[in-house]
Amino acid sequence: MSEPARQPSGEWQRLHPLSPLLRGGVVLLAILGYAASQIFDDLLSSAGFGSFISGPDDGDDGGGGGGDPIEQAMAHPLYALLGLVVFLGAIAAVNWVSWRYSRFRVGGGQVELRQGFLFRQHRQVRLERVQAVELSRPLLARALGLARVVVQSAGGSDSTLTLSFLDLGRAEALREHLLDLAGRTDEAALRAGVDLPAGGAVTAPPDAGWRPGAVLPTVLQVPNGRLFVGTILHGSTIFLGALVAFGLVGAGVRSVGPLALAGIPALLPVALGIAVNRVKELLTHGNFHLADAGTGVRVQEGLTDLRATTIPIHRIQALELVQPLWWRPLRWWRIRVNVAGSGGGGDGESQRETTLLPVGTLDDALRVLALVAPGVPAAAWGDAVLGDGPQPGWQGQGAGARWLDPLSWRRNGWADVSSAVLLRTGRLTRRAVAVPHARIQSLTVRQGWLESRLGLATVHVVPAPGPVTPVLAHLDVAPAEHFLALVSDRARAARRRSEVVRTPLAPDPPGLVDWTRHPQGTPEPERQ
Amino acid sequence: MADPAPVTPAPPAEVTLRGGDLAWRPVSPALTRVRLITLGAVLALPLLATVALAVLLTPWLWLGTLALLLVGAWAAWLVARQVSAISWVELDEEIVIRKGRMFRSLVSVPYGRLQYVDIQSGPLARGHGIASCEIHTASPESGGSLPGLPVAEAEALRARLAARGEAQRAGL
Repeated sequence: MSEPARQPSGEWQRLHPLSPLLRGGVVLLAILGYAASQIFDDLLSSAGFGSFISGPDDGDDGGGGGGDPIEQAMAHPLYALLGLVVFLGAIAAVNWVSWRYSRFRVGGGQVELRQGFLFRQHRQVRLERVQAVELSRPLLARALGLARVVVQSAGGSDSTLTLSFLDLGRAEALREHLLDLAGRTDEAALRAGVDLPAGGAVTAPPDAGWRPGAVLPTVLQVPNGRLFVGTILHGSTIFLGALVAFGLVGAGVRSVGPLALAGIPALLPVALGIAVNRVKELLTHGNFHLADAGTGVRVQEGLTDLRATTIPIHRIQALELVQPLWWRPLRWWRIRVNVAGSGGGGDGESQRETTLLPVGTLDDALRVLALVAPGVPAAAWGDAVLGDGPQPGWQGQGAGARWLDPLSWRRNGWADVSSAVLLRTGRLTRRAVAVPHARIQSLTVRQGWLESRLGLATVHVVPAPGPVTPVLAHLDVAPAEHFLALVSDRARAARRRSEVVRTPLAPDPPGLVDWTRHPQGTPEPERQ
Repeated sequence: MADPAPVTPAPPAEVTLRGGDLAWRPVSPALTRVRLITLGAVLALPLLATVALAVLLTPWLWLGTLALLLVGAWAAWLVARQVSAISWVELDEEIVIRKGRMFRSLVSVPYGRLQYVDIQSGPLARGHGIASCEIHTASPESGGSLPGLPVAEAEALRARLAARGEAQRAGL
């Protein structure tokens, strides 16, 4: 293996030498600190200072230490020092091996990472399968000027390729490079709303935004004050507040007073849990900053741990614009999206990058949406978020649904706009969902027993998994079937459009590695 | 409710929740047998227990036996209805699977979205010559499963799906 070549792409490169240490992270530091302080104490005491502290009953010391072999061993300062040195040496060796055996390279249309000494792993992601590239900087890494690059591809639970860590400049350069390559895929032209020429080859879009070092035009920033208020105004905190208010009022009334007071300790863990949850949210989305990255958007956020995610627009599988009831007086909205590979599970860690606007006004939201969903006109969004009753282009629930959705049956509905299907639901918590036609994975119609009695059916538009689940419940059966037919048809047409120019970025590199080649990003076509 | 907008190119035959005039294909009746055998195996032990206890302890426990038999009969009727409600059709670009009577569901998966296809059969199902075919897309919730296909047909379906999936493959 040659020396780490830094610049030319296509060569195997190494991670930053400090990375294994950093991955071990805080735990290791804590252990080292503890060990060091223990040994320092021992050194001090055996050097004679101990006698001042322990005083007259010094004579018992030898007998007392005899009971514990570790203490006995540690009693001698040289042994302790030797132990520390061996310990440090072992850690250094493990780290060195780990560093030595981790290499990555970008080239031949893919990113590859090999790591491990005993258990080797070789992961590769084809560039046309890259869903998003994220740069994250935990606090410790930030202090050392390092960053982690996470390449997300669609797949199962563990479909990311993580390069941790690189120094910041290199990480940024790598990100630009990856996005530059990945951005040249078939659908980049969709951004401009241009239909692709049939059979024509697509040239690289003028993505000046992705040149290294270029400052991306900022689309919006979320002030931390607004984020704070928005985070506090959450169902859980409102509920807790109501409970506390009720308790305080109750405490005033003599008969309920003791009961209310007794309830306080029981409430504490709940309050703590809610607080932790909210603070985490705040730390995650603090300093939120969204920029236009040409054919994608870049989200930068984080109060302590910084992360910058760049999501190519054509990788967004579904969008959701929500206004929780508590935000209504402030007219705030939130935008979340599904991005394949960022995991739909309850894991907050993986869901972070799917928020494109943690809290913002409708104007903010529309600005973001115009960027990430260019196929949906702003007027349609307006109808989707605030619309109600029969409107041109919108179809909704029949009167039969009013038994099941007494509040929102006039609002719930769908519309088919140029390149996406829009769903609007909810009167208390308003919600508008858009799924681009080209991203629909499948369609489902369901009918429960009660729905069957009422002649209703529920339609699901299924995109790749994420926080957004597009469902429109309780349509009349015939309109639901009509929805199915129409949306299938639109999806069919969109698939055909995106089929035209599917050419691989680059031919497979010849004789790449001696290992069996299983591109991680491409799912196995079939399995038995 | 507003008038539905006209579907631009009217599809030849609409896919509907209750079937309609498409060539829906049923699954093998062997699936009913397999499910009934499973049901019988599940019910056999409690049934034996109630019988034994009724003989040994008190004749009142025959009531329990009767209840179990009733439950079994009801479940058997349900199984028969469920299996007869499963049907599927291969359209030009989608495979559509219909299931259920009380709780109906209809899943339409485009071939271009197929990620992989699973064929599974346990010893019992294999004994009856059937296998289940499971269709996976990029979304875990959208896969359709088609139980009770004759093994040869399942294999043929898998091959067809793979071929069409490759031909119509759409990027994520």
